[in-house]
Amino acid sequence: MEVGRTVPGGPAGETLGAAGPADERIEPLACGRDAADVWDHAVEGTLDAHERDCPHCRAAAADALGLDGVVHRMAAERPVPPPSVLDGVMQAVIDTVTAELRPQDLLALDSPAGPARLSRAAAARVLRHVVDGMDGMRARSCRIEPVGSGSGRTGTNGAAGDGAATNGGGADPFGVTVAITVTARFGVDLASVTARVRQMVVAAGEQALGVPVRSVDIAVVDLWDEP
Amino acid sequence: MTPPVRLTVGDAVVARIAAATAREVPGVVALRPDLAQTLLGLAGSLLGDRSAGDALSAAGASAAVQDGRAEIALTLVTTLGHNARDLSAAVQRAVAARVRAETGLDAVVRVTVADVLLDVPQAERESKQSPQVPPPGSR
Repeated sequence: MEVGRTVPGGPAGETLGAAGPADERIEPLACGRDAADVWDHAVEGTLDAHERDCPHCRAAAADALGLDGVVHRMAAERPVPPPSVLDGVMQAVIDTVTAELRPQDLLALDSPAGPARLSRAAAARVLRHVVDGMDGMRARSCRIEPVGSGSGRTGTNGAAGDGAATNGGGADPFGVTVAITVTARFGVDLASVTARVRQMVVAAGEQALGVPVRSVDIAVVDLWDEP
Repeated sequence: MTPPVRLTVGDAVVARIAAATAREVPGVVALRPDLAQTLLGLAGSLLGDRSAGDALSAAGASAAVQDGRAEIALTLVTTLGHNARDLSAAVQRAVAARVRAETGLDAVVRVTVADVLLDVPQAERESKQSPQVPPPGSR
């Protein structure tokens, strides 16, 4: 701070750096006193007669007191994290918590190399994306259920190998049924276009996800018209 | 005569190897850290990471070593255009092989594909459209 101005050669800075026992004496002030001693005396309020009168010592003491005041003021301030940091932390926590995958949110994948699972929401998003890419079709909702979990609960909460034994599907632990609702453009041939939806969903399940789609239920829930 | 040597490999070592290996598998966009790892990463980035800045990140991977076997769990994100099942198998093989090579441990690798990103680069999307023609006989 202002140390360099009043203490020529900057010895006071080095004194601060030494931080502790004054075992190494450095260049004294012009009056012969050691700046570190003057600083200590100033902070403790034990300046002697010379230090109170000598201009060099008074400058050093003033610096010490000024710095002391600044330090205490800053120490008394309660640091508040900037809003951007708080927002960042909260957002990261919220993202992680909402992305937390529970066992029932996962589909078992038929990997030969060990237990593998796929987020059900991600799988549904892929299938919706595929249908959205078709001419005259928009996907609305897409529900994927493992085959054999008739009542909606899945048995995939263990290793895939265990899942094969415990899953209600028994012989088909990896197969899924897909229920998708779509809206169609007014005028398209619903019968043929839904047949294509079924084919696309089965193909995407196999090729993009690696999930064998055993059946596809398609509900056309609305029509829209293109201006 | 040399005394017997016991080599113990820590959970964190295995987790870091697994994470680093998985990240290199084509199709793996990212590993997804769990809540604890997210908070640790945040703390590290805000406070300045004092814990060895060069350490391999284990975010998205966890491991437990027991009786010479390693149980590894990986949570990863991929993109459309990579078959999730085949990608999982590829990651499992790569990680198991690497862990065995580096530590001598047999590893069970549990892979969770947490997300499939839809915005595929254009070139990749085009090459993907063709195989999407439904196979004959599909129900």
